[in-house]
Amino acid sequence: MDKIRVLIGILGMDQHEVGAIAVSRMFRDAGMEVIYAGRFNLPAMILQMTLEEGADVIGLSCHSWEYLYYVPELLELLKEKKLSVPIVVGGSVITPGDADVLTGKGVAAVFGPSAEADEIIETVKRIAGKGIAG
Amino acid sequence: MSKHTTRSGISLKQVYTPGDLQGLDYDKHLSNPGSYPYTRGRRSGAGVGWIQRELSGEGEPSRSNEQLKYLIEKGQMGIDVIGDSPTMACLDPDHPFAVNAIGTQGVSLCCLQDYRELYKDLPLESISVSNSIPPAFAIAGLYLVAKENNIPAEKLRGSVVQAPFYCEDCGYSMHMPFPLRLRFTTDSIEFCSKEMPRFHSFLEDTYYISEAGLDVVEEMALGFIEMRHVIRALLARGLDIDTFAPRIAILLNCSMDFFEEIAKIRATRRLFAKMMKEDFGAKDPRSLAVVIASHTSGLSLTAQQPFNNIVRGTVQTLALVLSGVQALEISAFDEAYRTPSPQSHLVGLRTQQVIDLETNVIKVADPLGGSYFVESLTDQVEKRIWDKVMEIEGLGDPAELSDKGWFKKFFDNAMERYAREIKNGDTKKVGLNIHQIPEHEDTLLKEGVEEKIEPCWDRIQKIKAFKEKRDQDKIKEVLNQVYEKTKSEGENVMFPILKATETGATMGEIAGMMRLAYGFPYDPHGVIESPPGKGI
Repeated sequence: MDKIRVLIGILGMDQHEVGAIAVSRMFRDAGMEVIYAGRFNLPAMILQMTLEEGADVIGLSCHSWEYLYYVPELLELLKEKKLSVPIVVGGSVITPGDADVLTGKGVAAVFGPSAEADEIIETVKRIAGKGIAG
Repeated sequence: MSKHTTRSGISLKQVYTPGDLQGLDYDKHLSNPGSYPYTRGRRSGAGVGWIQRELSGEGEPSRSNEQLKYLIEKGQMGIDVIGDSPTMACLDPDHPFAVNAIGTQGVSLCCLQDYRELYKDLPLESISVSNSIPPAFAIAGLYLVAKENNIPAEKLRGSVVQAPFYCEDCGYSMHMPFPLRLRFTTDSIEFCSKEMPRFHSFLEDTYYISEAGLDVVEEMALGFIEMRHVIRALLARGLDIDTFAPRIAILLNCSMDFFEEIAKIRATRRLFAKMMKEDFGAKDPRSLAVVIASHTSGLSLTAQQPFNNIVRGTVQTLALVLSGVQALEISAFDEAYRTPSPQSHLVGLRTQQVIDLETNVIKVADPLGGSYFVESLTDQVEKRIWDKVMEIEGLGDPAELSDKGWFKKFFDNAMERYAREIKNGDTKKVGLNIHQIPEHEDTLLKEGVEEKIEPCWDRIQKIKAFKEKRDQDKIKEVLNQVYEKTKSEGENVMFPILKATETGATMGEIAGMMRLAYGFPYDPHGVIESPPGKGI
């Protein structure tokens, strides 16, 4: 089976990179391929990279409230392009209320600050299979 | 902290005795408060107290102005304002990347009108005005508003954070090369040493870097590395050390290891005094006695059981007051999940006021001086900080280390180490990795968890309209001057920045022209064109 390709990115002006780096390392250790988009991305840039790189999953690290607006925007862009690449969101600022809103809008999984590594990896493996481009 | 050590790893004994003070020479190592080497305090006597304030800044400038007035009305003695993330990155609110971050984590500031609104009806001639905003712009804003209100610049007090070394690595990237960041620092310090002599234009900020999880030794070592580099750069310009050294201050962190934090502050005062005298030849006593301000640790707070954060803030504040700091602010108890609410601001201010007015702890200067334990720990922390400074300087020019990413790696390692210590329980966090409670029980003081501050989208149109209405030829002229004078090493960039700001140019435009002058792109994100200035 081909390796799962996960795109990891941070949105807008959010400069907190530690979580994204740690999660990237974790995914690589779990045998996945990580496309690291780093800081300073807008939804359109994430979309373009997802297309170019053929990512199976989009992982967004969120440590500022900007994700509340950018994640729904990205979901819309994916819908427009008829892409069903699942989005996984994780970060320190995500409250239980935010998690409900995001999953309601179509985010595949949301992880708060206390999520365990195994749980994150298993979830990504499970949902990666469902994401079929086109 | 299961091992019998301090957080930085210094071994602790069960009890300390006179034997631990062997070799301590009172006059040489301690002396009275207000006397060299200032271990016991920068001023003689007690009861002076400290500037009580809370870090603030939210939304558009007028909203922050209301916040400041609220805090002053509640007894705040100075103001400390932080910019939102676009402001910290020198981007205007109409930049496409700024949209959803306008005013959510600090105040949105980009032009002179913004500073007018921020400082409206505030007693700038009598209150100390501190800023965590890109230095040259914060100084220009304050200077110009004071001028319009006929307040002489020499009366202005306060401080501005200078962070040329580590801002790019620690969440405050301005997308500028190191030489330009250093230029901002040295030019603004030189400007203030002449024009705003009471203003602490050189605030060394070790707070935000240590929030990466640095221990006290690492925190202060990196702080001294930065200070020494900036001081050398200022001396290389031919400035006399005593013209700017009296206005150096340090903004440091205070975390939970109570006595180690106290030892850190006492050791820092002594190290600073010795360094200024012996390494840099300062003579003015004010150049030797450093002003210390502090912010209690946001990293030490937890989103779980937020009421515990009030206790943490109180313990840290007591440590700071016992150390004799000149100003302090408490990280708000809700900081783990939002920018401070008015309620949490009030708790912070009241915590300071209770300690000040009800406990008598400020009636005696350096009340812990002479303690077998505190003096022994002060010596050990001092030695470790200095060994670390020498070790890092021994690796080469710190500017090159910065370029090579050496400090970035240092911070990354510290972050990983801290995360590991929390995860494996070596560092105990009540409510987080010990004494947890189920989520449904964790309700006290959690009303604000789901409250969000909406970005100030109105600002985008407002700033766009403002930009269109300006005399474009004049803007072009002043921005070209910024470009030309930034290119010329002998010029102080403060003057073209002041002129441009006064004429109506914005921070984003000015910073962009300065990036161009240093061979960097006008827009670090490559999405906007350079304005009606240098079309390069």
